[in-house]
Amino acid sequence: MSEYFGVKVDDLFNTMPDRFRPEGAEGVDASFGYDIAGEGKWRLTVKDRKMKIEKTPDLSGCVTVTTTDGETFVGINLGKVDAMKAFSSGKFKVEGDFGALAKTGKMFRKYVPPKRELTPKEYILDMFGTLEKRFQPARAEGLDVSIGYDIGGQDGGKWTAIIQGGKCVVKEGLAENLSVKLQAQAPDWVALMMGKIDALSLLSAGKAAIAGDAKLALRLGEIFSPYTPPGEKAAEQELIVLRKTISVNQKFATGPVMGKFLKALKEKKIMANQCPRCGRLQLPPREVCAPCRVRATEWKEVGPKGHLMVMDVVYYASPDPLTGETRETPYGSIHVLLDGCKGHETFWHLLRRDQIFRVKEAWGEERGTRLRPVWAEHRTGNIHDIQYFEIDE
Amino acid sequence: MPEDFDRSDCFTVEGKLALPYTYFAGKMGSRFITTIRDQKKILGVKCKTCNKVFIPPRQTCALCMEDIRENWVELKNEGEVTNYTVVRYNDKHLPRKPPFILAMIKLREADTPMVHILEGIQPEKVKIGLKVKPIFAAQTTNTILDIDHFEPL
Repeated sequence: MSEYFGVKVDDLFNTMPDRFRPEGAEGVDASFGYDIAGEGKWRLTVKDRKMKIEKTPDLSGCVTVTTTDGETFVGINLGKVDAMKAFSSGKFKVEGDFGALAKTGKMFRKYVPPKRELTPKEYILDMFGTLEKRFQPARAEGLDVSIGYDIGGQDGGKWTAIIQGGKCVVKEGLAENLSVKLQAQAPDWVALMMGKIDALSLLSAGKAAIAGDAKLALRLGEIFSPYTPPGEKAAEQELIVLRKTISVNQKFATGPVMGKFLKALKEKKIMANQCPRCGRLQLPPREVCAPCRVRATEWKEVGPKGHLMVMDVVYYASPDPLTGETRETPYGSIHVLLDGCKGHETFWHLLRRDQIFRVKEAWGEERGTRLRPVWAEHRTGNIHDIQYFEIDE
Repeated sequence: MPEDFDRSDCFTVEGKLALPYTYFAGKMGSRFITTIRDQKKILGVKCKTCNKVFIPPRQTCALCMEDIRENWVELKNEGEVTNYTVVRYNDKHLPRKPPFILAMIKLREADTPMVHILEGIQPEKVKIGLKVKPIFAAQTTNTILDIDHFEPL
C-alpha cells in the first residue's frame, strides 16, 4: 500500500460511498472494473441510484475495465496528473465502453484528502512565528510597550513582543521591565487562540494570569489580528455551473438531386450521379460535376457492399444536426469504396461501434476490410436509413 | 436550372440542432441561488452610497458605479406586483402550460423588481400592487426556479 501524493489507492475506493451522488447515477445500471497495478482490483456496481464497491479479483461482466498504476490513478483523482496525457501515453487504459466510463465522473464528488491536525507544539510555534505579521500598526499608535508570554507545559515557551514606533518585534525569552506578562498552559493557550475558549473563562478558572498592565492585555485582540492555522482558508464558495442543451427543430430541403439519392435509400439502393464529360461518380450526388462544371445528369446504382478505405476514430463528438444527439464515442467515421466506384469516389458513413478496432484501412490500389451496410427497419429517405456499415463476414 | 424542373424527388428532411452550452452563474449569482436553495432566503445587495438595494444581486451599483459586491442584505419574503403579463401560447421552453402569469415582483426592501411566475390567482384578477410571497421549490435545480413561484399573501 504505497502513498501517492500523500494518498493511498485504498483511500479513494473506501471513500466512494461517502462521495457518491445518486443524482449523478440516474439511469446507470452497470459494473465498472479497476485494475490498479500492485494494489489490487476493485469492482464498482451501480444500479437504481445505489452503488457498491468491493475489492475482488473477479472483474467479469464489467462494461469497462480501467487498467493503470497507483500513481496515475491517484494523480488523476487529485488533479495532479493530466488524464488525457496519461490516456494517450498508455499509462491509463480503458477496455470496453469508454462512454459508459465517462458517466462515472458525474457519480462522485471529488476526493479531498483529510487535513492533518497540528500538534500543540506546532501550533504554539506557528502562533508566535506569525505574531509579527499579525501586528496591526494602525491600532497601536503611540504604544511603547513590551508584552511577555509565559506559556507553560512541555509544549510551551517564553516570548516577548516589543512594540515601539509602530513596529513589533518578537523575541524568544522574557525581557526585563515587561509592561504586561501573560501566563497560561500551552493547551489552554492554543484553545484561546483558536477561539475555542474565551480569556475571561480562563482567567476566572485560574488557568491564566495577567501581571502588569491589564488594560493593555485587553487590547491585544485588536493590536494583533486573529490567528488562523496554516493552510486554512475561508470556506470556498459553491459556484453554480449549469450544463444545458438548447434544441432547435429544423428542416433541410433536399432539392431534386439529393432528393433522388435519399429516396433511393428507402428502397435499399445507393445511387451516385455521374458526370457526362469525365465519367466521375459523385456520392452523395451533387448537381454539377465539380471539376468539369457541367450538369451531372446520369445516375448509376453502386454498392451496397464495398471496401473500407480510410477511417477516423472520433473521441470527441459534436451533436448530429439530424438527430440532435451526440454520438457515443469512440466511433468510426469511415470512407467506403462501394462496388462500382473507383479512386476517390468513396462514400462517408459510420462503422459498427464494436468493430472499429477490427478493420483494416487501405490506400491507392489496395483495398481495406470488406463492409456491408446495415439498413434501418423504418426508412424515411434519410442518411440514417443506413444505420452503419459492418464487416461483411 | 429551368424554373419548371422536375420536383418529384424534392422533399424535406427533419433535423434537430442541439446546442450544448455551459452557463456560469458568476460569484454573485451563485450565492443568490445557493441561499435560495439552502436557506429559503432571497438576498440582494445594497449600495452604501445611494442606499439602493439591487436584486438579482450585482457587483456594481447601476447608479453610482460603486463596488457593492460585499454588501449583502437579506430581504423579507414578501413583495408586490409592479407589472405583469399573461402568457397565452405554448412552447416547450416555457416553465408552465399556458395561460400563466409572469409578474414583475418588487420585494419590500428592494429597489428593483424581479420577474417570476405568479400562481394562485386568476389572470383577470391580478392588480398592480398585489401583495405576494415566494413559494420555494421542494425539488431544487440550482436555477431561479428554486423559488417555485409567487402567490398572493
